[in-house]
Amino acid sequence: MADILLEPARLDYTPQMLPEPEVSFAAHPEHKHYLNHEYGLLSWLLTVDHKRIGLMYLVSVSIFFMFGGIAAGLVRTNLITPTGAILELDQYNKAFTAHGTIMLFLFLIPVIPGVLGNFLVPMMIGAKDMAFPKLNLASYYVWVSGALFFVWQLMVGGLDTGWTLYPPYSSKYSHTNVLYAGLGIFITGFSSILTALNIIATVHKMRCPGMTWGRLPLFVWAMYATSVIQLLGTPVLAVTVVMLAVERLAGVGIFDPNLGGDPILFQHMFWFYSHPAVYIMILPGMGVINEVLTCFARKNIFGYKAVAWSSVGIAVVGFLVWGHHMFLAGQGYYLAMVFALLTMLVAVPSAIKVFNWTATLYGGSITFQAPMLFALGFIILFTIGGVTGLFLGTLGTDIHLHDTYFVIAHFHYTMVGGMMFAWQAGLHFWWPKMTGKMYSDFWSRLAAIVMLVGFALTFLPQFAVGYLGMPRRYPNYPPEFQIYNVLSTAAAYVQGIGYIMPIFYLGASLFFGKSAGNNPFKATGLEWQTSSPPSPHNFESTPEVYFGPYEYAVADGLKIVPLNDGKVRDIKHEDPDLVSSHEPAKEATHGS
Amino acid sequence: MAANTVEGPVAHHFNNMGQQLATVRFGMWLFLVTEVLFFGGAFCAYTAYRVWYPRDFEAGSAALNVGIASVNTFLLLTSSLTITLAIRSAYVGNRNGLMRNLLFTIALATAFLGLKAREYQIDYEEGLMPGSYTTMKPEAAKRDAELRDALQPLVPMLDAAVSEQEAIAFVPGKYPRVVRDPLAFYKFERLEHLFQKVSGRLNHAPDGFNENVVLALEEVHYKGERTDRIAPSEVAAEVDAIRALKVIPSKAELEAEAKKKHDKGEFNPSRVQLFFMFYYSMTGLHVLHMIVGLGLLTWQLIFARMGFFDHKSRYVYIEVMSLYWHFVDMAWMFLLPLLYLCGPHTSGQAVEQFQMAIGLTHSGH
Repeated sequence: MADILLEPARLDYTPQMLPEPEVSFAAHPEHKHYLNHEYGLLSWLLTVDHKRIGLMYLVSVSIFFMFGGIAAGLVRTNLITPTGAILELDQYNKAFTAHGTIMLFLFLIPVIPGVLGNFLVPMMIGAKDMAFPKLNLASYYVWVSGALFFVWQLMVGGLDTGWTLYPPYSSKYSHTNVLYAGLGIFITGFSSILTALNIIATVHKMRCPGMTWGRLPLFVWAMYATSVIQLLGTPVLAVTVVMLAVERLAGVGIFDPNLGGDPILFQHMFWFYSHPAVYIMILPGMGVINEVLTCFARKNIFGYKAVAWSSVGIAVVGFLVWGHHMFLAGQGYYLAMVFALLTMLVAVPSAIKVFNWTATLYGGSITFQAPMLFALGFIILFTIGGVTGLFLGTLGTDIHLHDTYFVIAHFHYTMVGGMMFAWQAGLHFWWPKMTGKMYSDFWSRLAAIVMLVGFALTFLPQFAVGYLGMPRRYPNYPPEFQIYNVLSTAAAYVQGIGYIMPIFYLGASLFFGKSAGNNPFKATGLEWQTSSPPSPHNFESTPEVYFGPYEYAVADGLKIVPLNDGKVRDIKHEDPDLVSSHEPAKEATHGS
Repeated sequence: MAANTVEGPVAHHFNNMGQQLATVRFGMWLFLVTEVLFFGGAFCAYTAYRVWYPRDFEAGSAALNVGIASVNTFLLLTSSLTITLAIRSAYVGNRNGLMRNLLFTIALATAFLGLKAREYQIDYEEGLMPGSYTTMKPEAAKRDAELRDALQPLVPMLDAAVSEQEAIAFVPGKYPRVVRDPLAFYKFERLEHLFQKVSGRLNHAPDGFNENVVLALEEVHYKGERTDRIAPSEVAAEVDAIRALKVIPSKAELEAEAKKKHDKGEFNPSRVQLFFMFYYSMTGLHVLHMIVGLGLLTWQLIFARMGFFDHKSRYVYIEVMSLYWHFVDMAWMFLLPLLYLCGPHTSGQAVEQFQMAIGLTHSGH
């Protein structure tokens, strides 16, 4: 902190205008990149290239997002009338369970680590591939086979326990496919562990020369923190699901109080994973926001270290707050108080991030292209979601709001308003890098606005109706709540249209899009310094890094003032005379 | 480490051998972190129940086969030695030594699994199984039939109580409101509890459940009569008592009744079954890890025979395999005391004297 204050010369925040994207219609037939260096189905199915695996995740995850979205549409449509518009009672249970399980285990958890994490982490740190390329492919197939269990489970009649699988309902009373779903959770969890392991090993061991920890892009920091959570949390969920399966199969009462067991133990173990899991979902999104905001504000991130360490802070504190899901479940009063206090603590690193983002925007030279619109939407919506989370983390208010639509609105604001918008921001930001094509500016901006409006109108009424007392997971409600539900459902359709739009304009860009050029947004990350689409081994030669990740404050190709070592270097040809001339004046700091 | 100086083929995505070796090692350590948490979850649940039901867990443990477990411990520890010798052989490029040591390890692991299988078989024959698969002894079956008869009048009563509750709670076409007669609700709950208790005995813990456990318990801890058995007459008496209730008992009365039960040291076979649930799932997970390890060892043996490990740098693959193997070993070192040694394996009197000597009293849950 002290050296930042004392060395103002090293933090040059002079904004630079964003140059026009260099788009060209000229094709480069000789350019061999990862998409065209080999052809055929097998070259995709057996690839160990992290970029191709990322694209395979993109396709699969998008399909499951569509399934989850359809289930959400069924739930919302059913809630148009107070007695249920289209579904039977048990169908309603199955619909919201399908929505929850698919969106969480098959979309939110794998989407950014699987797609952007796979695609970008090696490129951002200047590596040729992930540390364990074959393991990476294996983890994709493990994920697919886990996902197939979910599909199978849906096809043979669905699941009606809610995604939380609380016993005794899931162990004794439910006649639906708890075991298939449990197997799906177990297997996709294993895939999530392997991906996390790969990313951590890659970040530790594969960084190119000069890529110090202080120069890692913040997306990589966020992915690192996410992976730590996945590595530590997921096995606990796996063993919990194993115990649930044993109870269901063998009739032992591990979670059954009649036989000496304790259902609260399941909740403890479940939330030990599943609360950190919400940070698995949101942290990568926060990482994306760092990259997008700095690029479209043309500024260095405000407080690099604070943002980087707040990711780690969220990962650590996130493991200590699971009990706030169980305030009313029968855990001890004093335990609940401790969890409430710790929950307040986890708001601190999240708030650090939001303040740093707004400070980054301050005085920036902002352009409102689609990724930036999504990122700004993220900040607004995530802030609302985060602040309403404090209502729920406080013991007294939670008694009123527990298991109402207020909770639904809160976590949709963080998970959809946060993660979904960050995912769209990242997808739109790196789409030109992945495909080499630029999408329609107009349609992408329009989609961002449609999604934002649709989203806000879907879930704002739910805060109100939740506060008034409408419980979650109920298909029926008193007629006086109908106006809120109709509004919410109507907006959900708008939101749905917003999610369908990218399929068309991104798909169209593949065939009719202009060639994007290597760096259409004039971003500074290493991934932008190579060709688009990248060559099979990412870089022609191993890159070397002399400066921090967000040096937007100086014009491209000119003198770079690196943040971290205080040495002035030239990006193109290093000038040895300048190397030691800007040593920070450490002597002056003594005594003050 | 000498790793940076070792020559050998470098995979396409690494810059040099040092980076490759460090990455491979680091990856295995990360995997072991995950494994620790995986077993940790089970240990955590085990600890909770062990603390709640110490006597039931000790009784279950007393019935396990410590002899086989001791031999297995010896085998597994020795296999850790042989795999470490295998690393050495690979490091110095001794192909025959490597194959020999891998073979030793495989042999020891196979012996472990064979003995474990035999142990499971013995357990099964003794009736040490969790859940409803217990072998029923004739007298137990007879008592079950009696209990079932005693349950018969309870069923219509419960049905009536349930429909009454629903009729009060759910007025058709209206928002469900909770307007319950507290006394009716209390009676309903007690009836339901009784019903579940009796039917739970029927489904989950028939008397045939493991004579050894019962004997161990009675010998070690319970000098008097066991109190967990519900006689059909008790069921009838409880039903009458519930019917006769005119007011809800006060909290103090309920607590006094609970304390009376607690002081009698009620023993519950289904809690012992919890122990066996942990026994089978934790040793089962351990066996699963050993089978995976055995597969990897065999794979490495085949590759060693083909000369894959003649590049000295590839000793690192043997090394990370040994890390995994040591982890399996470690997991067993925790399982052994928690499952096999936690119960008294001597006569009841000796244990009692020991407990008095160290000032332990058994107040129960």
